[in-house]
Amino acid sequence: MSSSDLSNVKRIKDTLDVITGIVLLVVSLVLALYLVPNYIGEPSILQNPMMSPRWLPNIVSWLILAFSILLIIQGIIVPSDTENDERKIVKGPYRRFVIMLIALFVYVLFFESLGAILTGILATVLLFLAHPVRVWWAYGFAIAFPVGVTLLFVNVMNVPLPLMPF
Amino acid sequence: MKKFVSATCIAACSSALLLAASVSTVNAADWPTGDVRLVVPYAPGGTTDVLSRRVADLLKDALDTNVIVENRPGAGSTVGTGRLARGGRDADHTLLMASPGHTIGAAIYPDLAYDPVEDFVFIQNIIDIPNVMVVPASSPYQTVVEFIEAAQDKNMAFSHSGVGSSIHMSGELFKTLTGSQMTAVPFAGSGAALPALLGGDVDVSFENMPTVYSHIKSGDLRALAVTSAERSPYLPEVPTLSEIGEHNLDQFVTTAWFGLIAHNSFPEEGYEAMQTALDEVMERQEFLDFAEQLGAQPGQVEGEEFKQFVIDDLARWEEVAQQAGISQ
Amino acid sequence: MENLTEVLQLFLSIDNFIAIALGVVIGVTVGSIPGLTATMAVALALPFTFSMQPVAAILLLVGIYKGGMYGGSITAILIRTPGSPASACTLLDGYPMAQQGNAKKALKAALFSSVIADFISNIALIFFAAYLAKIALNFGAPEFFWLICFSLTIIISLASGSMVKGLLAALLGILLSLVGLDSVFGSQRLTFGNYNLMDSISFIPLLIGLFAIPEIIEFYRKKVIPHIKAKASGVGMTLAELKRCMKSIVRGSLIGVIIGAIPGTGATAAAFISYSDARRRSPNKANFGKGEVEGVAAAEAGNNGVAGATLIPLLSLGIPGDVITAIILGAFMVHGLTPGPIMFQENLSLIYALFLGIMFSSLILLVVGNAAIKYFSLIADIPKSILFPIVLMFCVYGAYAVNNMTFDIWLMLAFGVVGYLFNRTGIPAAPFLIGFILGPMFEDNLRRSLLISNGDMSIFVRGPITWFFIAITFGSIAFAVFRFFKDRNTKLNADKLTNET
Repeated sequence: MSSSDLSNVKRIKDTLDVITGIVLLVVSLVLALYLVPNYIGEPSILQNPMMSPRWLPNIVSWLILAFSILLIIQGIIVPSDTENDERKIVKGPYRRFVIMLIALFVYVLFFESLGAILTGILATVLLFLAHPVRVWWAYGFAIAFPVGVTLLFVNVMNVPLPLMPF
Repeated sequence: MKKFVSATCIAACSSALLLAASVSTVNAADWPTGDVRLVVPYAPGGTTDVLSRRVADLLKDALDTNVIVENRPGAGSTVGTGRLARGGRDADHTLLMASPGHTIGAAIYPDLAYDPVEDFVFIQNIIDIPNVMVVPASSPYQTVVEFIEAAQDKNMAFSHSGVGSSIHMSGELFKTLTGSQMTAVPFAGSGAALPALLGGDVDVSFENMPTVYSHIKSGDLRALAVTSAERSPYLPEVPTLSEIGEHNLDQFVTTAWFGLIAHNSFPEEGYEAMQTALDEVMERQEFLDFAEQLGAQPGQVEGEEFKQFVIDDLARWEEVAQQAGISQ
Repeated sequence: MENLTEVLQLFLSIDNFIAIALGVVIGVTVGSIPGLTATMAVALALPFTFSMQPVAAILLLVGIYKGGMYGGSITAILIRTPGSPASACTLLDGYPMAQQGNAKKALKAALFSSVIADFISNIALIFFAAYLAKIALNFGAPEFFWLICFSLTIIISLASGSMVKGLLAALLGILLSLVGLDSVFGSQRLTFGNYNLMDSISFIPLLIGLFAIPEIIEFYRKKVIPHIKAKASGVGMTLAELKRCMKSIVRGSLIGVIIGAIPGTGATAAAFISYSDARRRSPNKANFGKGEVEGVAAAEAGNNGVAGATLIPLLSLGIPGDVITAIILGAFMVHGLTPGPIMFQENLSLIYALFLGIMFSSLILLVVGNAAIKYFSLIADIPKSILFPIVLMFCVYGAYAVNNMTFDIWLMLAFGVVGYLFNRTGIPAAPFLIGFILGPMFEDNLRRSLLISNGDMSIFVRGPITWFFIAITFGSIAFAVFRFFKDRNTKLNADKLTNET
């Protein structure tokens, strides 16, 4: 979107809104035309169309369609409030971001096989390194918290988390 | 089985007492060798959960080991049950509290990844809670027969606590057997269904006994029948559906049953230890008191009988689900 | 009263005081941990109450319930992670306040309004139980349907910034709430054959994902900003501020009481309704969502107002309004007591002893809450680089613990990404949440009404309660439309003025 040429930017007042609108438009069309008819079962006999499991999903899909068109129009004609736009952030280095993604995947992929403690320590240390945290005692936290919290969950709260791979 | 073994011992040996003691210690040493897990295939707070925690508490003493209750809710009870069916390294120490959800779930969910009968060892039926056919106090119907006759021309709404609950399926079974005109009205749980019943928005329900017992006693609801095979000691004046006999009702026997099952690989000594422990638990006064509060009766069947019971239950619900069009 | 001594005898036992205190402490602690809800704590505590005296047993559970209601707001304010669903609304203003260095003030506001709402709710329970119970019984599916319609109109007032985006968010929320098994026919809706989705999308992973995870993603996406150390996490709430919020607190409490007395709506909806009502009436309207103390107070008043009131249908009718009261009902039954009209005749002194205990629990909540704030507010001083990884760990553990499923961790992360995209595109998360909560209620009650009436639409206008809610629903929409045009006019005029100058 940053590469869009100047004339375009002048015509479209809020590019992001237009893009959001288009994405939602596509989503709503996929929903209304493909997902709802194919993935929602409907009983053969219905006393009332409102009883159908497809009724509300259909309405919602078409409403999303309508509002996404409105959003596109709004994006084209209404200028956005550029001064305090909370949508924009100053991006940091990619390395931080990628390490964070790895940490997230550590959680989802290894939670059951490695257990809560090991994944907790691994992901926390990764996130500390990503920042990077340079206070050495913080790394003690990265070990103490997963161990402590897991034991708290399992033994005090009686909530069984997967413990150890062995 | 174990009773038989010890009986033979008593006959053979003079120091029967000593030997019986040693047999039980051998068993105790064989199983359990660690913590026992009790999987509850429902969320915390429901009847199954409360019951399981109570039983786990008592089992702790009987087995002399820690019994950890683990909730694995989802899709009826099929998510938790499916997990148990997969086995794994703890399968020899894992139990599951099965309920009508086990058979109804298998009847209405398509392509279950497990066989509800063959993949499990059936240990013991622990408790049976009857359902009660109740109508609001303002309802004109005094007996089941009156109700059925009225329901031939008038459409009756029955409330239930969710698709595939024993309450829902009981209603569908009643509809199928008697040929009544009935519409199922779903609610999010029994608590939400009660006001509609008390307020007369729905005509009838086949609620679990503990949910409606106090309202029957206070006169806000009228019990027309209970669904168990025998009259409930808590409502002795209320007939069972099967004793009414007319309109095919003699085939109507169903309860909300609860029992422990385990994975196929569950060891033989574990099975025996569990039966001994459960016999002990079910004789405890705490357990009997608890059953009384639920308006329930201690379970009747164990082992192979329990398995046969589940097979019959499954066959019946499969038929009902098909007739009611609930199977997808 | 003749049996005053009996009541006091039942109440004045050291066990009761220990039970209440213990309950509130457990509730606040568990409530503040994301993923561990008060419901879970009450369920887990239930077996321990079997061997206790009935009054102490019930008070322990009620203590956990009330403590949990408040406890959820602590992490909502400090780390944008609602400890329990009901506190999702609290974070809308609580977290911005904490970011501005006013963590302590937000926490105090939440505590004071919680305690006040709790107190009002208890009063309602004690004096108006019979009356409110009657309303609850007259609240059938069509009445519910209109109540939900009215509640949906609050989306309009919650959609800060762009109305279109707010409505889109709500629609997306409704859509996702429909995933799972159809409640009438049991057919699958958009589950794609996935068993983990059949019980619909788990609420708590969604909640944590939507609010906590985007903060973490953003933190690692953004350029590092040096940590600004807040001065001892700010000052507490002044008396003047409390006074200013008082009207909203009282109104929120009353909203909570009504919602609580009707079985099945829930504290989360009450919090949002109270919040949007406060916002609509406040002179500081523009500040809502950006760290307005009144917003925190209103939200907490709404959800705590529910806590005492849910006991109304439970005690007077024997009807549990939510899972927690269902468990408490179980506790009653284990002790051979059956809540309902009979209990008022047979065990009146026990009920009054319970009432005294419940009143006392509000006081304990104030004490425990104050102590908790003292230590919890220190969290606001921890640098984010250390705090966020640990928060993420809690989120993961919590999401998993709800159903013991790794799938829920996936779900949480997926909603984290959704929440992040929402932030980037300016789509507000609050209407999404409202849609998600109210969507199924809307559909269920619509269809339930039609099933009850056999397809006759006149059921929707069947009595004064429906008329009332129809009136306020359309009133609320009309008001919003009126305000929309008024705001536009003033804006246009302002633009004209600036153009002229």
